Amino acid sequence: MTDTAEEVSRIGSRWQPGPDGLLLDVRDLQVEFRTREGVAKAINGVDFDLYEGQTLAILGESGSGKSVTAQAIMGILDSPPGFVTGGTVEYCGTDLLKLPESRRRTVRGPEISMIFQDALSALNPVFPVGWQIAEMFRKHRGMNRSDAMREAVRLMERVQIPGAQQRAKAYPHQFSGGMRQRIMIAMAIALDPAILIADEPTTALDVTVQAQIMQLLADLQDERKMGLILITHDLGVVADVADRIAVMYAGRIVEQADVFDLYANPGHPYTKGLLESIPRVDLKGQELSAIGGLPPNLLAIPPGCPFHPRCRYAQDVCKDGAPPPLREVGRNRYAACHFAEDVLREGAHQ
Amino acid sequence: MVRYIIRRLLQMIPVVLGTTFLIYTMVFGLGDPAKGRCGERPCPPAYIAKFNAEYNLDKPLVLQYLLYLGKLVHGNLGVNFYGNDVSQELTTRYPITIKLTIIAILFELVVGIAAGVLAGIRKNGFLDNLVLVSTLLVVSIPVFVIGALAQMVFGVKLQWFPVTSTQGTLGQLILPGLVLGSLSVAYVARLTRTSLVENLRADYVRTARAKGLSRGRTVGVHTLRNSLIPVITYVGADVGALMGGAIVTERIFNINGIGNFIYQSIYNHDGQSVVGAVTVLVLVFLLINLIVDILYGVLDPRIASD
Repeated sequence: MTDTAEEVSRIGSRWQPGPDGLLLDVRDLQVEFRTREGVAKAINGVDFDLYEGQTLAILGESGSGKSVTAQAIMGILDSPPGFVTGGTVEYCGTDLLKLPESRRRTVRGPEISMIFQDALSALNPVFPVGWQIAEMFRKHRGMNRSDAMREAVRLMERVQIPGAQQRAKAYPHQFSGGMRQRIMIAMAIALDPAILIADEPTTALDVTVQAQIMQLLADLQDERKMGLILITHDLGVVADVADRIAVMYAGRIVEQADVFDLYANPGHPYTKGLLESIPRVDLKGQELSAIGGLPPNLLAIPPGCPFHPRCRYAQDVCKDGAPPPLREVGRNRYAACHFAEDVLREGAHQ
Repeated sequence: MVRYIIRRLLQMIPVVLGTTFLIYTMVFGLGDPAKGRCGERPCPPAYIAKFNAEYNLDKPLVLQYLLYLGKLVHGNLGVNFYGNDVSQELTTRYPITIKLTIIAILFELVVGIAAGVLAGIRKNGFLDNLVLVSTLLVVSIPVFVIGALAQMVFGVKLQWFPVTSTQGTLGQLILPGLVLGSLSVAYVARLTRTSLVENLRADYVRTARAKGLSRGRTVGVHTLRNSLIPVITYVGADVGALMGGAIVTERIFNINGIGNFIYQSIYNHDGQSVVGAVTVLVLVFLLINLIVDILYGVLDPRIASD
């Protein structure tokens, strides 16, 4: 294919992060899905940034827009029905949303790559895993089959797959869940990307394997100084590895803070509700707290603060007008709530 | 793999025994094969006795069948009621049916898959609707209408193709081959389209895009290979069916193939030829299905390893 040669010629000119290590700068990102039932506003103005070696966790319920955010950054939204309708996604100073598809493609894999929740369905069932990893080297680096395969085996060894040499010829269904996710990871880090997006990487795995995979991701990140975006709904997974957390609700970031600050004292009622709904050993026997109500229908997001129907702090001001903006409510922490200070103060007393 | 093939071959034995016994019983057990052999008049008793003795018809049915089977394992299909060797009759006709099948299958694969892919990659687009409507049209017309129509238009009026195919040369067989494959082409196109549309939504396609692969490679390599699995199943079964001869198409174009032979044999009450031909058809059908199943494992590794 002609684009292979084109891609090879560009290897020399790698993208350079900003002087402060800024890799990714997402501003006011908006995504909607145009369906037969109407327009679903999946992402309504998302802002965050990511630095070299930083781990940002994006936390939220299903339907909060966390996976869609990742897909919009990658440029792999199913379109139609999904459309990016506004905002910028600047990678190393260049707005990816303005790049033509042919150039955008050279970013996916070598610069930003992604792993998915269910590695069994995310890997192609009819090709050997080694072949699928080697494809990265063949298509982006123009390597021949045998060199690419040697690189693939080397990567499989790096992600600790026993007997990598032989296992490279096996198919995805011949691996266990954890091993499959390792293969996904090997494929994603093959070209040494600056950013790795992990979309619920451990959700489909059992708990002991979850820990191993998270450890592997953390090690790889250390080793390569990658920026890691970890998308999850599992607060437990986040606590150990993340530096910073963005909590999403109805396509907006409702709170963003360093992981320790957020866990110590949430600044948004939604985050507070999430943290209270984690089962705790010291509260054994007590009824588990849950956030009442359901996440909003994205076809009809309530006016005002989208969380107000479920919020115990809600006042009249929350019910109309524009949603409260994400504002600075403390040192390096942001919350999108009219009563963030009250929530924080209340938490500090507990 | 070898064990799998051996197991499959062993499974064929009861199938072959069952089908041949059924066809033998239907042809020789349910009526008097000697009836009507002498035109309007009844046959002389001496002739009937000689005829029955020659074809073992004077013995009990099960014994008849076993005697037939005994010859069959030596590859001997016997002599038909006209004194011709049935194996010989089949050998001269099979190459024509094979040629016809190859043309039809190539047509199905090339045109059917191409149309299905073009329709599937732009779902609800112009090509998609064109393919859906035209295949619906083809599916709803019986093959004898398509055959006669094609013969009339392309053979008689436009004279692009010969009207009949009596010698069974490749050039003569193109039009009948297209007619024969027309119905399946429509099914293959629809099957490919549906399968492709479904697979394009699969997670591994999203992965292929996340890997920065071109759209051509995402569709042509990653999606198509998976989408073709049901198509190959269908085409495989179709090869088996087409190898059995196409009675209607061969009649329309006067092709001297297996289908026509079976038709003539039934028409002439030539039981020996009917049983011989059907026995061979069963064997061919089973063998082709085995080959397709083995190929299937190549296409879908999840099946091969079981």
